[in-house]
Amino acid sequence: MPSAPNQHATAMLIRKLESIATLTDEQRQAILSLPVRLHTLAARQDIVRDGDKPSHCCLILDGWAYRYKLLSDGRRQIFSFHIPGDVPDLQSLHVHTIDHSLATLTKATVAFIPHESLQDLTLRHPGLGTLFWRDTLIDAAIFRAWMVGLGRRSAFEQVAHLFCELYLKLQAVGLAGHYRCPLPLTQIDIADALGMTNVHVNRVLKEMRGQALITLRSQTLVIEAWDELLRVAEFDPTYLHLERRAA
Amino acid sequence: MPLHLQPVQVATGSLDRESLLVFSDGFLVAVLVRLSDDHGEATGMWFLEAGFGRVDHPDPPTFAGLDEAQSWVEKRLESRR
Repeated sequence: MPSAPNQHATAMLIRKLESIATLTDEQRQAILSLPVRLHTLAARQDIVRDGDKPSHCCLILDGWAYRYKLLSDGRRQIFSFHIPGDVPDLQSLHVHTIDHSLATLTKATVAFIPHESLQDLTLRHPGLGTLFWRDTLIDAAIFRAWMVGLGRRSAFEQVAHLFCELYLKLQAVGLAGHYRCPLPLTQIDIADALGMTNVHVNRVLKEMRGQALITLRSQTLVIEAWDELLRVAEFDPTYLHLERRAA
Repeated sequence: MPLHLQPVQVATGSLDRESLLVFSDGFLVAVLVRLSDDHGEATGMWFLEAGFGRVDHPDPPTFAGLDEAQSWVEKRLESRR
């Protein structure tokens, strides 16, 4: 199937970019005219594998994805979780060999955008090139925040921090509100992201429920005490560099 | 050298209390904790709460039974990393 403009798809990218910057009408139009190829993927399916040299970037339209690396004995480190509007492999535009893997967490719909179209877009609209750069810098800021968690925070603080981060990211693109958001992660996913065991995650979640900080049911996270969760996590949202939150 | 197990209660901050100190040659090498009913399918399994020296592990495993746990600890003690 050839790539073709799909305004519903590229509008997701606009919504994401508008959470971290302001776009001009001209930039918005240019993004809307990007050619894309849509794919529906099952849960837990690799989109890009370690060592691949993709010729397109992957825009998530629906569902969640994650980036990860496997050790030889199967131990997995998850680097990041991704939600609709994210382009988790934007770096492949300039770093040609992917050094980790990207997979769906849930059933997902993604749009592949050819590298040459994105390169052409950034040449014609340098402001958008700057904006993509900004997005990858924010990506790096999130990695730094995770590094602090992996290295120095307690299990309880780490889980609290992750929940604050995911809620704000989802809220920024209109996918969460009223302290409630989808959370399709298993305890093993959380453990592999935070460098813990399933046992520790289970204990922390139980303690959080016991302290009436959160409830977690049917893949929905309800934050019952937002201010307290922020305090426990020492959460400072500066690193997400959100310019504006969706209504 | 056979392992020596000593029952103990561990304050894990959860209902997981029933535990075993694991000694090898007189040295404490591991603490195994039996998982409580809070852990769904893993209830009753043994978790490597702590391992020392060669038994330390960045991703501590859970074992279906004590024999499996002891074999794993022995294997780690024999390993050269």
